Amino acid sequence: MLHIENLTATIAGQTVLRGLDLDIAAGEVHAIMGPNGAGKSTLANVLAGRDGYTATGTVTLDGIDLLALNPETRATAGLFLAFQYPTEIPGVGNMYFLRAALNAVRRERGLDEIAAVDFLALAKEHMARLDMDPAFLSRCVNDGFSGGEKKRNEVLQMSLLEPRLAILDEIDSGLDIDALRIVATGVQNLRSPDRAMLIITHYPHLLDFVQPDHVHVLRDGRIVRTGDHHLAHEIETDGFGPAIAPVPVP
Amino acid sequence: MSSADTALLDRLIPAGPPDPPSLRATNWLLTHGMPDPHDEAWRYSPVKEILSRLAVATPAQPSQITRAEIDRLAGNHGPNRLVLVNGAYEPALSDLEAHADGSWIGRLADLPPGTVSTAVPVGGGFTDGFHALNRAAGGDPAVVVIEADVRHDTDGTPSAPIHIVHVAVPGPDQQVSHPRTVIEVGARSHLRLIETFTGLAGPTLTNACTTIRLDAGSSLHHQRVQTEAAGATHIGHTQVSQAAGSRYETSSIMLGADIARHAIDVTLHEPDAHVALTGLYRPAGHQRHDTAVCIDHAASHGTSTQEFKGVVDDHARGSFSGRIIVRPDTIANDAQQMNRNLVLQPTAQADARPWLEIFADDVRCTHGATVGRLDDNALFYLRSRGIPLDESRTMLIDAFVREITDAIAPASLRDHIAALIDVAARRSQP
Repeated sequence: MLHIENLTATIAGQTVLRGLDLDIAAGEVHAIMGPNGAGKSTLANVLAGRDGYTATGTVTLDGIDLLALNPETRATAGLFLAFQYPTEIPGVGNMYFLRAALNAVRRERGLDEIAAVDFLALAKEHMARLDMDPAFLSRCVNDGFSGGEKKRNEVLQMSLLEPRLAILDEIDSGLDIDALRIVATGVQNLRSPDRAMLIITHYPHLLDFVQPDHVHVLRDGRIVRTGDHHLAHEIETDGFGPAIAPVPVP
Repeated sequence: MSSADTALLDRLIPAGPPDPPSLRATNWLLTHGMPDPHDEAWRYSPVKEILSRLAVATPAQPSQITRAEIDRLAGNHGPNRLVLVNGAYEPALSDLEAHADGSWIGRLADLPPGTVSTAVPVGGGFTDGFHALNRAAGGDPAVVVIEADVRHDTDGTPSAPIHIVHVAVPGPDQQVSHPRTVIEVGARSHLRLIETFTGLAGPTLTNACTTIRLDAGSSLHHQRVQTEAAGATHIGHTQVSQAAGSRYETSSIMLGADIARHAIDVTLHEPDAHVALTGLYRPAGHQRHDTAVCIDHAASHGTSTQEFKGVVDDHARGSFSGRIIVRPDTIANDAQQMNRNLVLQPTAQADARPWLEIFADDVRCTHGATVGRLDDNALFYLRSRGIPLDESRTMLIDAFVREITDAIAPASLRDHIAALIDVAARRSQP
């Protein structure tokens, strides 16, 4: 589903990704771990199309050349990025925003726009599963939300938009154990045979709830080691040093 | 004043025996002349261009326009609507039957003698040449007088607003009109007023002055909307004098005309007077929108707040000058001013200038100004959810102006303005 070949990315003259290769098939969950500065968030941003990066290489989603598309077209093509730091947007109502996003995706899928009344019912149903107060619909997007509330709002969006590929950029950061359980359960419930997930994390905790099919270690802009979910626990016990030691860095 | 200027006055000021205030205004003009680019209060305005348009202008002629056209341009916001076309009252287009006892609406000439006691004109001085020209060349003013102790909303429901619509209808060449409006709210009375300045595309120049007097304990809620068409020049002046305990709330929405300036001068003559100004300007294309506020705290225990927002697009320029004067020997005045600007293109320009003259010690005064772009992070966040760039921009601009537009009442006017802003936003997308 997702095919990445020899991806490089530079920002402000600094090369952050240096020839990254990754393939994710439908239904698979991959985790990317790595120390600070390894390029994890850059990978997420480059895949989602944030301005400021110069990228080379090949990235396709279901055969579509992602790098040629603007961010909104990537999203309607089925890519979803759950932000590490969701942006607060005062003045834009959360319900209005969520419905605009869903309708953008529906238009692309050839579906009619959803009416406000139907959307409200749908949103409440999805929010109940995430233990979210419906009052969040009448607030502004992430405005004054706590860290946990923001992350839940990200998972809510993913749940409503039903992406082909979900990239979760440190969805676990800043969460206490209860919030982590709710968010992780929400993510786990969204696993599906025709959906792929790329989970970017510092810590293996999340992976106890959402067990990945493959774990990759990213360092210096490259994947330096790949294993199954046991690799996450190895990293938890021993840190990143030993995990990447067996692979000489050319 | 040069001989060319004298010729201009001969052309613009109606012949015939002038009333004494008009003669005084003419004499003021002969002594002081029109503003020039060095006048501080006109610093950001394209004065030369305005004066060159005025230099070739002839007095605007009466013109025809339909009710349907008025509804389209200004909206319909209640049963009391006074329509003036090119400064002349149009009884056939106006609806003045429904207003309550104790209030008078109409031309000054039609009002019973003595209805307007002292307020035409208010004060002795003129703030600038356009103000004096308005008095010298403007005809019979539109007048709204609310007698003392008239409160339309004693049952808790808001009274219907009085809507004054000024329409600029162009002729073949540059024309100028000088609409005059006089508002008096008697002691302890309350009025809701909507003033709309609108028009059809073409070379119109509107030099408008609205003079407002608020007696002790009275209150006025005033929405001013300027949506004149392409080719229009709008020089607007709102002059307010407030007695003890009076309250003035106003919102100035500036969307139209090629060149538009709105000066708001408020004097708090007596203690415990309160004024709350908000405003929005949204120039695009090559439009120029300038707002010049002056709040004069001439008595003690007054409060004033100013909250103005600008959205400047394309090659447009917008400016806000906010002057606050706190007179000597006053105490416990509180003046707040905030001006925020969103500049959508590198070619657009916003200027903000606080101008404080504080001559008293016991005073609280705060001011702030910001000029910024659309938040890139917010834009990316919206786009990353599939929302197209133009729609994302519109959402963020809408969020920025909402603080001002949400407070507009009645809802029919709020919707009318929201639709106009929406059209402007779509027109200026990259």
